[in-house]
Amino acid sequence: MGKKDVEAALARGVEILDELLPLKSWLYFPLLYSACVWAVRRVFDYRERILAWQVWLDPGFVRTKPDGFVLDFFRGSAPLRREYAAEIDRGDLRALRAAFPALYAVIGLEDAFLQALFKPEIDAADYRAIVVEFAVRTARARDAIGPAAADPAFWAALERIGREAASLGLHLLKDADVQDMIVALIKGPSSLGPAIPPEA
Amino acid sequence: MKMRRLRALALVLAVVLSAACLTHLHRAKRYYAQGQDLARSMQTAGAVAHWQRALDEAREACRRSPSAQAFTVKGLAEANLGRWREAEASFLQAFSLGFREGEAWASDSALAGLAVSFEDMGLEAPSLRIYAHLVDTSGFKPALMIAAERRTSLVLAGASGLAPDDRNRALAGLNKSLDRLIDRDFACGLFHYLRAQVDGHLGDLRRSYEEAVMARELGLPSEKIGRDNDNQLVYCYVRLIASLAPAERDALTAVQARWAAKWGWRDDRTPAWKKE
Repeated sequence: MGKKDVEAALARGVEILDELLPLKSWLYFPLLYSACVWAVRRVFDYRERILAWQVWLDPGFVRTKPDGFVLDFFRGSAPLRREYAAEIDRGDLRALRAAFPALYAVIGLEDAFLQALFKPEIDAADYRAIVVEFAVRTARARDAIGPAAADPAFWAALERIGREAASLGLHLLKDADVQDMIVALIKGPSSLGPAIPPEA
Repeated sequence: MKMRRLRALALVLAVVLSAACLTHLHRAKRYYAQGQDLARSMQTAGAVAHWQRALDEAREACRRSPSAQAFTVKGLAEANLGRWREAEASFLQAFSLGFREGEAWASDSALAGLAVSFEDMGLEAPSLRIYAHLVDTSGFKPALMIAAERRTSLVLAGASGLAPDDRNRALAGLNKSLDRLIDRDFACGLFHYLRAQVDGHLGDLRRSYEEAVMARELGLPSEKIGRDNDNQLVYCYVRLIASLAPAERDALTAVQARWAAKWGWRDDRTPAWKKE
């Protein structure tokens, strides 16, 4: 049991998703990765866990945060501090507040599905792209998963993939290695960014 | 002989059918209680799944053998799932079958549903009035909790555009009503979470920190609120230790280290759910 076995299990997962979600390969990575996250944590209510990200898109939930909280959020994360240095220096809370709802959901609350959905942007530290893309991409993900989500076979397949990968030693691998493995299985080089919807 | 057999068959059928109904109601109650437990431990998704199962079982129990209990459990599951109109109808049925509180719960469910609809349509003023009424008068916890949460959110959003004095007055008023809720039900983590949010806006970071700790200890209704509460707690803690005198700072650091160890955090400012 080792990396190769896990890779083989995930490859089967890609094949299964190819059947269940044809032409939506941009969703394979977030789905497979979040399935792996929950499998490692030995949580098997996949359907609820993977769909939970939709609950976190509520704009009312984050729109009332105090200025100090918003400012500390940007200052407290090294990559965000670098990206938004100019806005932080000139105290441009209007700009920071505009970016906050998307970045707080992805970076601040760390939902596995949303982080995978925006993996190319996170890897490239392109946080402004997350802000621009957030509404459109999450809406597309919701629409695309919708029909499959109603099919119990879809969730059973995801659970099977996660369980199998977990039983083969998924927990022994680094998070980044698992991500790279899934990306390579889906599209080849990770720079291609499998999480980007074709029409985005 | 034939008659006796028929009677025996009817008796067996009656026993089997009533046992089946009992099983549906029993299962509905069990799923509902499990949903409540999961919600308290911030496992929202699991809680929602259990409430949905409770609703399915309660529906079946109501269909096979309508009773006040079956309709009450059905209404509770619907209220927790945000299906306020259906909850209203279920509680009215429960009332007609002898559940005394059913009428008041139906009325509060109707009001909660109406307020949510107003808010969805962008009509914040009437929704705010209804939420305030529910916060002051409702004894039905699901309606009370959504009213408290939404009212706090709407008042905070409205206060952000006010002059500092008006804003502080509005937030102080909000805190008074939250204090009344906390007096009524001190063990409700959500009320402490809301108080922590308002105190954060008022700049009372010590109180905000204490309320966030209390909210964490008492449990919150969803994982997203739980994580946000952790972020609020860390925000207050970091700001406080930067502003306190050395002796006070050391005391707070020691307290936070004890809480962090109890909660299984990686250090005094990194919750377990945060990536390394």
